[in-house]
Formats: sequence, structure tokens, C-alpha cells
Amino acid sequence: MLRAGPMSAGALADAFDVSKPTMSAHFAVLVAADLIGAEKSGRTIMYRLKMSVLEEALMGFAQAFGLQVTPETPTTPAPGQTKGKS
Amino acid sequence: MIMHQPLRRAFLIAAIYLATSVVLNELRQHQFVSAGTVVRLMGMLMGLVVLVCANAIPKTLVPLARLSCDPAREQTLRRVVGWAGVLGGLGYTLAYALAPIAVAARLANSLLTPAVAVVAGIMAWCVWKRVNARRRET
Repeated sequence: MLRAGPMSAGALADAFDVSKPTMSAHFAVLVAADLIGAEKSGRTIMYRLKMSVLEEALMGFAQAFGLQVTPETPTTPAPGQTKGKS
Repeated sequence: MIMHQPLRRAFLIAAIYLATSVVLNELRQHQFVSAGTVVRLMGMLMGLVVLVCANAIPKTLVPLARLSCDPAREQTLRRVVGWAGVLGGLGYTLAYALAPIAVAARLANSLLTPAVAVVAGIMAWCVWKRVNARRRET
């Protein structure tokens, strides 16, 4: 999704059927891995893709050879982590 | 001494170039390596530097507040420039590593030139867009 351009945390969270705190935890992992960049813009946090060419190529290879790097469908939320409860 | 990261990297690359060329020249003078091998190794080093620098281009983010164009377009352009540089650098490195030494330089340059043309074209287009935007503002 971030390949199309920067997106706000809210817009990203809306695209998945998981709670915002769960999404926030996922974002934190990706930021720690230096794969996305977070930037505060007013009251929203904007996320941007931060992948080197090699990382992008590796992800492309993984997808081409059937390794499920990015799931086709959003993951089912864990009990107690539904969107309505956030 | 406090030095900006890009400046420090540029000095490091320059130091690696100089040190490698001095070491290889010494080795050639003592006939440990042939002149052809020296040319090959220096060519491979140059290709690898292009590859490594281009690889990091999409990962270098400019703060959104400082961007004067659409962030999505800026990201796409960075990715195109990064890919062009990496493929050009890879071609340059492989040409010097594998091609016969007589044609290695010509082949390497013919592989890197399109990448340089893509990067230069994108940079020129960005400058042209920025100048046009400033003209419209004034």
C-alpha cells in the first residue's frame, strides 16, 4: 500500500480489520526494522516506505517464489483485538 | 569533529579508492598482480560503489515538510533512480569481473550510461518542474 505513496496511520488502519493498537504495534515493528518511516504531520502520523532496492528485490523474489511475505487477505484479529474494541 | 553523514560517506569512499589504488599499484610493481587484474579490480570497485550508493537512494527520506512536490511522485522517482543505479552498477561490476579485459571497459560503460542518462533525465525534469513552480508563484 505504501508503494503508492505516504499514508496516514488512520488510513492504513482502516484498510485492515484489526484494532488500531494492533496496527500501531505492527507499525512499531516495521519502523524498528527500518522498512517504513514515520513522521508526525500535525495530529496525524504519516508512514512512508523506506526500503532499499535490495530489500525491495528480496521481497519481490520472496513473493515470486511463493513465500508469503505479505498476506493476500488481512489477518484475522486475535480475540479481544477487534476493530470495535479499540 | 562533527561531520554530516553524506560528507563522511563521501570521504570514506574517496579514502577506499585511494587506498585500493595505492595497494594495487604496489602489488603490480612487485609483480604480484598483472596490470589487467588491477584494471579489473578498480572497475569492480567503482561499480560496487555505484551499486551501494544507488541502493540507499530510496531509503533516504526527505522530511515531508521540506518536499516541494507530491510525496508519492518523489517516492516513485527515488525508486526509479535507485533501480537504475543498482542495475547500472551491477552491470558495470559484472562487465569488469567477467568480460575479456579488451572489451570490459567499453561494455561496462555501455551498461552504466543508460542508468546515468535515466538519473540525469529525472534530475533535469525535477529541476525544470521546481523552476516552473517558482515562476508561477512570483
